[in-house]
Parts: sequence; C-alpha cells; structure tokens
Amino acid sequence: MREQEGRLVASLAQQGISRRTFMKYCATLASMMALPPSAGIAMAEAMASSRRPSVIWLPFQECTGCTESITRSHSPTLEGLIFDAISLDYQETLMAAAGHQAEEALEKAIEDNKGKFVLIIDGSVATGLDGAYSCIAGRSNLELLKKVAPHAAAIVAMGSCAAYGGIPKANPNPTAAVSVSDIIKDKPIVNIPGCPPIPVVMTGVLAHFLTFGSLPELDKLGRPKAFYGETIHDRCYRRPFYDQGKFAKTFDDDGARNGWCLFELGCKGPITYNACATVKWNGGTSWPVESGHGCLGCSEPDFWDGGGFYKALSMPANPLKLAAGAAVAGAAAGVAISFANRAKKGAAKAAHETTTLADLEK
Amino acid sequence: MGLESIPVVTQSASDGLTGNAAAVLREIAARLESLAKEGQSGIIDLGAMPLSPADKAWLADKLGQGEVEINLELDGPSHVRETRYAGVWWLLHHNPQGAVTGEFIEITRIPELVLAHPADIISGSESLNFLIDDLC
Repeated sequence: MREQEGRLVASLAQQGISRRTFMKYCATLASMMALPPSAGIAMAEAMASSRRPSVIWLPFQECTGCTESITRSHSPTLEGLIFDAISLDYQETLMAAAGHQAEEALEKAIEDNKGKFVLIIDGSVATGLDGAYSCIAGRSNLELLKKVAPHAAAIVAMGSCAAYGGIPKANPNPTAAVSVSDIIKDKPIVNIPGCPPIPVVMTGVLAHFLTFGSLPELDKLGRPKAFYGETIHDRCYRRPFYDQGKFAKTFDDDGARNGWCLFELGCKGPITYNACATVKWNGGTSWPVESGHGCLGCSEPDFWDGGGFYKALSMPANPLKLAAGAAVAGAAAGVAISFANRAKKGAAKAAHETTTLADLEK
Repeated sequence: MGLESIPVVTQSASDGLTGNAAAVLREIAARLESLAKEGQSGIIDLGAMPLSPADKAWLADKLGQGEVEINLELDGPSHVRETRYAGVWWLLHHNPQGAVTGEFIEITRIPELVLAHPADIISGSESLNFLIDDLC
C-alpha cells in the first residue's frame, strides 16, 4: 500500500504538509469545482497514489503573467502540491536547464511519454511570416506546436492568449496571432482563459485529470463548466444593488462609497464567465469588483477590442455616428475612433486643454 | 495612509433569511435517518448553495452545540464541531490568511478528516519501533 502511495504523500511530509492538510485542500478544491463533496476524499486518495504524469509547458507569445499567477499564488505550498503531483519536464521560465540542454529535455520528455503527457500552452501562436514573430531555439511557435501537440494526451490552453488569441490578437493583430484551438483540431483542448487565469482553476483541471484520468466537463468555448459556468454578475456580491437599481455613477460618489453596482461604470460582469466572484484573488483576499473597479471581462474572447472598459454595456457608444455599439466595435470603427481621438488630442493640445479619460471614451 | 482612512462603508443587501437554510435542515434530517438505518455517511457543501449570513446563523442555532469540538491546524485553522444531534458535524476550514475556504456539514460517526489514515498508522508504528530500537 505504501509503495502505491508514490512520492506525493512522502514529499509532502518532507515539506511538513500532513495528509490531513492535503485532504482539506482536496475538499475545498472539490467544493470550488462543484464536484460532489465526497469527491474531495476520492481526489486525495487518487492524487496521493497516482503515477506522476509528465507535463510539458510551452510559452508562446505571452507576458509570463500566467506563470506568475500560478507560481506566486498566495499559498505556494498548496498550489505547489499539484506541481508535486506532476512531473514538469519542460518549462523555460522555471527550469534550471537552458539552451541545448533544455531542448534535449523537451525531446526526451516527448519520447518517454508519447501519447501520455499533458501539454500546457500559454501565449498565442503567431502565424504571420510563417510564425517568425515568435521563435524559441530557432523554431517558430507554430512549428513547435505542430510538432509537440500530436503526441500529447490533452492540451491545456492557459490564459486568454492561448485560449482565444488575447492581447496579441487585438486589432490590428500585427503578428496574425491565433489561439491554440485555431491550429490544433484533433486533440482534447481545455481553455483556461483569464488575464491571468485564477490559479486554482489550473490546479483544479490538473487534479481532475489526475483523479479521474479525464478532463472536466467543458462549455461551448472549451472552458471547465465548474469555474466558467456562471457570469461574474450572477455571483457578484453587489448583484442585489443592480436588482434594486442602485448604481455608482462615478468612482468617488456616495454610490461607490456604499459599494453599489458598478454596471454604469462599465463593469463587464454580466457578459463575463469566470469564478473571480466566488474564488477571489490573492488567497481569497479580494477581487476587482470588491476593490471598487468593474470587471474588464478578461476571460472573454476579444475582450481587448470589446469597446471601452468604462463604457456601460447597454449604453449606446456611437458619438462618431458610426453605428457601432459597445459590443460590435469592428475594425473599421476602431481605426476611425482612434483617428478621431488623435484629432481630439491634437486639438486639446493646441488649446492647452487637458484630455481626460472621458474624452477618449466618448 | 491606510485603507481605514478611506470612508467606505459597504452595505449588505442580503442580510435576511432566504429560506434555503430550512431546506438544508431537511436534507440533514434525511441523511441522518439514512446514517441511522443504513450506516450511510453523507456530506453537504454549504459553499455550494446561496446562504446569507442570517441563514447560516439560523442553521447554527437550530443545530446547536454538541459535546465534541476539535481544532486542527492544517495550513490555516480548521474547526470540527459536533452539533446537538449525534452524527451531525459542522466543519469550517480557513486559509492561513483567515479567509473561509470551505464549510461542510458531515453526517457520519466521525468526520473522515479526523480519522487517522491506515498508511499513516503503519508508518507511525514503524517510526515508533525505530525510536525504541535506538533507545537500546
């Protein structure tokens, strides 16, 4: 029995983490994933006894924010548990090896674990100029993805860039960036969007894979339903104020001080599916709306091009009479608005006026 | 300047009873009956349903206080409390920062978390024997 338990429980014990601490972690993880409460015990048993699966993590066009989110989560020992349960064979930012040694580690991990490893991608895939915009060790991200993906058991697209193209794909998308699922069509892909994503979503997906040998249930955009099943708005603690019609009108009025709904200040909570409202950030300390700022909608496709962050969702947004609603600000409109804004900036400069945020959002 | 100097007073819009606590109480009763008759344990995740602070207070009041209270230090405090009804336990987990990370009602003879794991008992027995060997 003890041999079966593998390295996890032993390595946890070395770090001073008891089995009960691990069971507690699994119980809360199962609760967050909306699994039956008994699944926490199953998870603890399965993860403690499972063979450590190989994980290859490839960073593409990204800012390392996703890696920061995972590795600097508030309880490093507990999120680190999952990294003890896996064998992270290649991760350029975290691995000690560099250069040829690192590339050899990648080749070896693929060879040793063909068809069995989990491939994590963060960052979008540049396709312009045959992918030349983003290269590692002389190979484009596009080439590397096409080489590694066929041998993976499953792919996790970490962050909005890997899931939907993210900020690199924002207009005018100079590198012709696309998402992982735009390139790879024949592998199970889990999208974990967010800029960055919530650490526990990542560990939850890996825990599910380790426990049940399968990926959790996904929605139509490939996101785990347990974390992306409801909108920020539906689970927001300020929701009752929305229902009562109590809105903050500016960031420093009485409404804002009383913690009223931020809808009119541009909160994208109603159209954003994510778990921030329940899981929160920084070890459950707070989250954007609790700190007084509306949701940017960072886990939704093309959030960067979805209109101004401070424009209310249902307010018409066509001061330039371009018939462009907040949600349908197309490429042409975007360019026109930027020209108009530039003109406005120039005019303001000439007249020695201060250009405010509100001017640019008009 | 600390946060306390910013005059923000957050109103709570859901202080009242929602009626959900009564439903939870009935589920506890049903599971306790099944524990009595079939020996079937059960867990209810209080975080999985919308309960206002008033709902939780109501539920805590109805379930009352039993004889056993266990405090565990598991990377943040955890608290296991027997209610007035034998076999019904209230579990509350916190993280090291003090935020509640999980709240469960467990209907069982003794919560799984408290039990010593068989593998840990074997390794404990071995360690103790090593210790005794070293004494000689």
